[in-house]
Amino acid sequence: MPRKEVVVKHGDVSKRVGVEVIRARGVDVDKLLKILIANAAAEFASTYYYYTILRMHLAGYEDYKEICEDARLEDRAHWELIVPRIYELGGELPNDLKEFHDQAGCTAAKLPDPPTVVNILTLLMESERCAIRSWSAVCDMTFGKDPRTYDMASRILNEEIEHEAWFIELLARERDGKVIPSGHFRRGEPGHAPYSKNAKFYNP
Amino acid sequence: MLPYNGHVSAQSTTFVVTLLLPGGEQTIQVRSDEHIWDAALAAGIKLPALCHQGRCLTCAGRLLNGGEVDQSDSASYYPPRSPLRILTNQQEQMRAYRRQHGLPAPYS
Repeated sequence: MPRKEVVVKHGDVSKRVGVEVIRARGVDVDKLLKILIANAAAEFASTYYYYTILRMHLAGYEDYKEICEDARLEDRAHWELIVPRIYELGGELPNDLKEFHDQAGCTAAKLPDPPTVVNILTLLMESERCAIRSWSAVCDMTFGKDPRTYDMASRILNEEIEHEAWFIELLARERDGKVIPSGHFRRGEPGHAPYSKNAKFYNP
Repeated sequence: MLPYNGHVSAQSTTFVVTLLLPGGEQTIQVRSDEHIWDAALAAGIKLPALCHQGRCLTCAGRLLNGGEVDQSDSASYYPPRSPLRILTNQQEQMRAYRRQHGLPAPYS
């Protein structure tokens, strides 16, 4: 339910017009912050960290390793993009890494047992699917109300959707011998992040 | 491990699962080789969910009849092993419970 906009008095630094206007337009800012922190934890802890290990274990599959590396570095770019927005909205990260890790809304992409290439690709694909669901939820919460968070979430979502398509293509070929083209694979240097990093609006 | 493709195994059994939803009670049939959430969706019931990994607690429900589920596939929704009666939409209660016990509770 939209709330009446709070008047921010001249010179008042205890409130933010940038927050009050989106609250007045119907965004539950407290809930949004919880989701952004959960998504930041997922990008940083559940994926970026664990993808580093998964990538190591794709040894010998150099093409898969390179693609995993792109997803890994782009997830790091997402983390970098989310954190400023959390603080801008008046939130903050937990001052304890374990507490932060435990807030992640997606399962940690821990090295599967056995760490076969099929198991690793399956894990990568399912991790990207969780990210798509999580960022879609942010888009739904902010569409038409909070253009800045929506813009950020939709950029990240663009990349997560591409990542899922890549891992479907690789897994289908590796596991089932099927050709299911992702429709694209277009990156420059590792971590190119065409939507989130190279069009960022913060920490240029 | 459950099949990825919705394949129905010859050995699957079907159980009656009663869902206590905010709008009332609904009963569905769920095979022992499918997840309760999937069967509910197929029956036109959209239960809460976000991560679809059993992580974020959005899908939490409470088993009311002491029924049995197979938690070995806990990266997703549990297949039934007996008739079930489930109180749905329990995410806030589940998060509060886990916080009280020092367990991870995403989104809280």
